[in-house]
Amino acid sequence: MEPWQLQPARDLGLPAPERWRSLQRESGLVESGLRLVWLAVTRLFFAGWNRLEVRGRERLPAGPPFLLIANHSSHLDALLLAAALPLKWRDRVSPLAAGEVFFERRPLAAFAAAVLNALPVWRRRRSGGAHSLDELRRRLSEQAGIYIVFPEGTRSRDGQMAPFKSGLGALVAGAAVPVVPCHLQGAFAAAPPGRRFPRRRKIVLTIGAPLTFGTVANHRAGWAHIAAQAKQAVRGLAPVAAGKSEASG
Amino acid sequence: MKGTAFAQPLVAATLLGVVGLLLVAVSLNRFLFRLGRISREQYQDILVRSKTWCWLALGLLTPIVLGAAWVMGAALVLSLLCYREFARATGLFREKEIGLVVVLGIVALTLANAIHYDRMFFATAPLTAGALAIITIPTDQPKGYVQRVALGVFGFLLFGCSFGYLGLIANDERYRSILILIFVGVEMNDVFAYCVGRTVGGPKLVPLTSPGKTKAGALGAMVLTTALVALLTHRVFRGTVVDRWDHLAELGFLIAALGQMGDLVLSSIKRDLGLKDLGVVLPGHGGFLDRFDSLVLVPPVVFHFLSYHLGPLGTHSAAGLLPGG
Repeated sequence: MEPWQLQPARDLGLPAPERWRSLQRESGLVESGLRLVWLAVTRLFFAGWNRLEVRGRERLPAGPPFLLIANHSSHLDALLLAAALPLKWRDRVSPLAAGEVFFERRPLAAFAAAVLNALPVWRRRRSGGAHSLDELRRRLSEQAGIYIVFPEGTRSRDGQMAPFKSGLGALVAGAAVPVVPCHLQGAFAAAPPGRRFPRRRKIVLTIGAPLTFGTVANHRAGWAHIAAQAKQAVRGLAPVAAGKSEASG
Repeated sequence: MKGTAFAQPLVAATLLGVVGLLLVAVSLNRFLFRLGRISREQYQDILVRSKTWCWLALGLLTPIVLGAAWVMGAALVLSLLCYREFARATGLFREKEIGLVVVLGIVALTLANAIHYDRMFFATAPLTAGALAIITIPTDQPKGYVQRVALGVFGFLLFGCSFGYLGLIANDERYRSILILIFVGVEMNDVFAYCVGRTVGGPKLVPLTSPGKTKAGALGAMVLTTALVALLTHRVFRGTVVDRWDHLAELGFLIAALGQMGDLVLSSIKRDLGLKDLGVVLPGHGGFLDRFDSLVLVPPVVFHFLSYHLGPLGTHSAAGLLPGG
């Protein structure tokens, strides 16, 4: 709990559809309750159906803000990473999701905002400057958030890890925000592109030691350095035998 | 059931009156626009407000016609929506434990109404206040404790307890007439204050709190609302001990005064927070609290005033789950 402030919701005055897409969005009791139920159900599902194994949970920072980054090969990935975090952080966790995919249609936008607590990142710049890594960066520290980020920018179509984009660097360069590298093994096999319901395959989530980039300059060269470092850290968590077959890059 | 509903005093007349007023407002707006007496912006603004009024009238009158259980449900929804707006405006929504206790308190009030257990209703306020005082202690964050708890109690009493009285009134067999008396009295009080204030002008009432209100408007509304409520109350309680000119005037005065005070309470909250509106749910009006601010203080006073003179409201109604209808 934070020190008391008589401060209205940052998204006060926005109609619901705009509120879902807003990076100023703040959650209330209803959303928090929905997330509790959702996370409980997804945890049970992954534990039972995919025998989810989380390794290195003790390496998670003591508290927010921080970023979880991972290889991205299925639609399950954000849910798997969220399932590894304590439930008390449920209102802090926000997967960064493609605005064009998750926030264009109202029902999906409502679900992404209310249940997943996802925040939109727009590939195309929209009027009003919605594509705002600066705003995401500010929100991360102001609201002590936990971002789930897939620095490849999109889902892998063949299970191989793609180069990391520099947008990750723009979020954390020069800031004392830990970046926690994670590696997902088995998610691609469980939910490859085109698959509507996950296969019954074991999934292993490995959590690595946090990285910090407080001394890295916040400009293009620094961002590229961070992207390279982060990719190396994620790849380093891949099991050696499996690394060649899935998400080795 | 519907025959019974329309047989109660004021129900049919109010329904016809509301439908008629809305039709007149929409037609007049269109007529004046075609004559060029109002601009397109004014026309659109009035149209949006009128449409919202149609939905509001439907939302308020439908439960009254359908039955007591519907009124209790509507009071629950109104309480929750208004508390939500209050919590988001003050920042209290970030205190999830406080919010949970307030919501449980509001649900408990509704349950007490549904099972017609008045003692539970009256006990819920102090019990909820106690629970609010306790709930954040385990977090061991004493900084801001007083503000959090005080705002929680304030929100619960104003929007949970007060609107909960609407459901409590629904346990009385005359609930349709009483509720219409309240709604008509409160809404016309606003209209009278606006019209008299605009016509007469003069010094402001409390300019820093509500710059638009004048002393003349407040006084005019007081006189006109008192007269209107007295007339309506006479229709509803003809031949009872309330049907005396002094009691009728007292009830009218209470509704007029507390309607205006409720408006000013919410204006004070908004000015303190630096907000114009507390929400955007109702196009042309703002949020639910911007529309129902005048109602906030009235239901408890009407309930206790009538209970004092007539005996506790609802005493002669059948007990049990979701009575009435």
